Formats: sequence, C-alpha cells, structure tokens
Amino acid sequence: MPYLDGELVEADRLEVEKHLADCTPCAKQTEVSRHNRTLVRTLARAATPPMPEALRAKVFTRVRSEQAGQRQGRFLRLSAAAAGVALCAFVGHHQWRSFQRKLYVDDAASRHARQFPLEVRVPQPEALEAWFDGKLGHRVAVPRFPNAVAEGARVLNVREKQAAYIRYDAPTRASAQPRQVGLFVFGDNGNDIDVGARGEAELGNSNGYNVVTWREGDIVYQLVTDLEEDDIRELLPADPGHRPPPPVPVGRPALDVQPASFQR
Amino acid sequence: MLGFSTKSDKARAEFEGLVAPWLDSLYGGALRLTRNERDAEDLVQDTVMRAYRFFDKFERGTNFRAWLFKILTNTFINGYRRQVKERSLGDESERQSVEAQFFSSDTTDQAQNPEDYLLQRVMSDDVLKAIDTLPIDFRMVVILADLQEFSYKEIADILDVPVGTVMSRLFRGRRQLEAVLRKREQVEDAPLVDLNAYRERKKLA
Repeated sequence: MPYLDGELVEADRLEVEKHLADCTPCAKQTEVSRHNRTLVRTLARAATPPMPEALRAKVFTRVRSEQAGQRQGRFLRLSAAAAGVALCAFVGHHQWRSFQRKLYVDDAASRHARQFPLEVRVPQPEALEAWFDGKLGHRVAVPRFPNAVAEGARVLNVREKQAAYIRYDAPTRASAQPRQVGLFVFGDNGNDIDVGARGEAELGNSNGYNVVTWREGDIVYQLVTDLEEDDIRELLPADPGHRPPPPVPVGRPALDVQPASFQR
Repeated sequence: MLGFSTKSDKARAEFEGLVAPWLDSLYGGALRLTRNERDAEDLVQDTVMRAYRFFDKFERGTNFRAWLFKILTNTFINGYRRQVKERSLGDESERQSVEAQFFSSDTTDQAQNPEDYLLQRVMSDDVLKAIDTLPIDFRMVVILADLQEFSYKEIADILDVPVGTVMSRLFRGRRQLEAVLRKREQVEDAPLVDLNAYRERKKLA
C-alpha cells in the first residue's frame, strides 16, 4: 500500500497515521501488510544470486569489441579523408598495430591495478589449470615461476579478449615483502597483438606498471607487475647461459620465457 | 592522428562506470522476468548492448538505473516475452489472461484472509517461485517495486503506464503473491515457527 511504500505526501501520511492510532483493525491490517512486505522483500533479495563473473566479463567484452569496431571504422574513414588511400593504408597499418598493442598493455595494467576479486584461491598450477578447463576458448597452461607462488585466479578480460588472470606473489631484492604479479593468458589467433613474432618478449609500461608481453603460438601472455626490471628477470625463468641480460628492449636472451607447455 | 579515439574511450569508460554497479540488479530482474538463467543471461547482454548504443541519448544527471530498467523491460517485452510464452504453453498461469487469473476462485479464496502473517517457514526459494507464477503485468511491477525498490513514479516511467495503473497492479500482484505463499505454507507440513521468535531473530540480525 502507498503508505507503507512511503509514497504518500506528508499531509496524507499524517492523516493515515492519525487514523491508524485510533482504529485497531486498520492498524492490525497495516502491521500485517508491513510484515509480509518486509518478509517478501528480504527473502526475495536473499535468494537472488549475483551476476555470474563470466557473464560480467562477457558483457564488458561485447561493449569493448563494439567500441573497437566503431573506432576502426572511424579510423579508416578518417585516414582515407586525410591522405592518399594507398599511402595511408601502409603507414596507418603500422601505426595501427603499435597503437593496438599499446591499448592491450594499458588495459592489462589498469585491470591488474583494479584488484578484482579472485574466483579461485589455490597455489597449485595444476589446480588452476583444472579450474580454467572449459571456461575459455583455449587451453590455459599456467606458467610455473620458480620463485613466485600463485595466489589464485579468475576470468578477466584484456580489452575484448577473454583471458585467464592468475595472480602471484613474487619476492623482490629490495624488500622482504613480496609484490603482486598479475598474468593474463588469452587466445589471439587473429594476431591482433603485434608481439613475439620472433619468439621474444616485449617490455612495456603503463600507469606505473611494467608489462611483459610474449606469445606462444596463438596464445598471448601479459605479465603486469610493479616489480623492478631486475626482479622481473629473477622471476621469469631465464636461460642460465645468457646472463647478465642486456638493457631494454628485452630480447630473447634476457627474458627467455619458457613456453608454459615446456615447463611440465 | 589518434586523438579521435579519446572521446569514445572516455564515453565507453563513463558507460562502464555507470553500468557496473547495476549489473547484479539487472541480472536479478532478468532472472525473474525470464524465469530461467539462459534467457536471463541473453537478456542482460542485449540490454547492456542496447544501452551502450543509445548512450548518447541518455540525459546526463537523470536516473541511470531507471533508464537501464526501461531498456531491460522493453527488450524483454519485445523479444523474450513471445519466446518465453511459446516455450511455456503448457504453463496454465501464463495462458490465462490477467483478469481471468485474478478472479479465478482459486486465488481469490486464498486472498480472503488478508490478516494473516506470512510465516518464516516460507523459504526464499518459495518467494521467487511465487513471483514467477504471477502474470507478466503483475510480475513486472512486483519485481520493480519489491525487488528493485523503484518508486511508483519511476515504475510508471519505466513501463510507460500511469501511476494509478502501477498502484493497482502492485496491489493485486502482492495480494496474489501472498495467496500463493499462503497456499504453499498450507501444503508444506513443516512445523510452525513462532512469530515472536522470528521477530527476535530479526531484531538480532
């Protein structure tokens, strides 16, 4: 009833309350209605599940891929208008690729920074792989980092790509406190991310995070961390024959990331 | 050269920021509208995509949640309702017209004793099932008022009906809901729970 729903204007509400004070049957009826209304609301709310995480990820993926599609369309139109089509197609493609790669780096960094809750908390890579089984369109091989311990994982996108996200605690040289490392693993058989064509890892940064990107066939790995570069080298299994590593950009000898499939 | 992307990135980020807090309630609403998880998932996705496409049309500063639910209910009415109806032809409660259902002796008899408290042994799940038996016009209003806690005015805007219609549908919807629950109470042979004990527990909670 409007009174219980708080929908009466002040004057009417006072009128009703005055009446309820004098009229026992109405007061009783109101009390019953109030009780039932509260019970139904409380129970209904308690039984309503939150949105499944996978659906949440899917919704944002679709929004992002729609935006990417619009942007690409606008990009092509603008490019054609700005210059000769042939020249622009050549220059544009190259810039487009590096621009796209940067977008993935930025997105991975900002998603890692947002500390989304983990969906599963186990340290064993095998258990995490089993958890991911069937959740994504590709198999997830969880890399074994000799020094870092996995905290847990969840499904989390990088832009429109649905990715496995695994969070690790990694030791640092500077302090006893371990630092967090986030690793995204996602399928990219369209080769949208221009990395690792020659098997090397790329080191980039965004929002104060270092982001290491590498590719293993159709699978792209993006590791996001606030670790220093040296600590990253410690973390990733480097080929012992190639130390010390050369400066950035990091080539194969420095960050010889072993394909996860070889680490078993 | 790439400056043009900033605006749409910003709009997308703004949209994501606005929509994220309401995804759970959109999903909860969609579940009760469609009454199954698969359709609810599709309905939420369609709703969000539609909202994103029409985001330019959203007047900044107005009620974003009500705007989302308007899109949700419209999307449901235009697409899913037919689909869901087809799937549930055997479902008597959906086949009856709203009026026929309301005035059927079955439910009115039950609604004759409105003084009764609904008791605690009514389970959460029973409430959802009972909501699911309501004819769609009542169900939408009950979902918006009691699950989503929209005001009468907001519901009237969402469903494009007068406030008076919202009030009568809500009244009748709730009465029918209580009737269904009371019937369920009678069917289930669980021991009665003392109302005072229930209130004590509620106070403590």
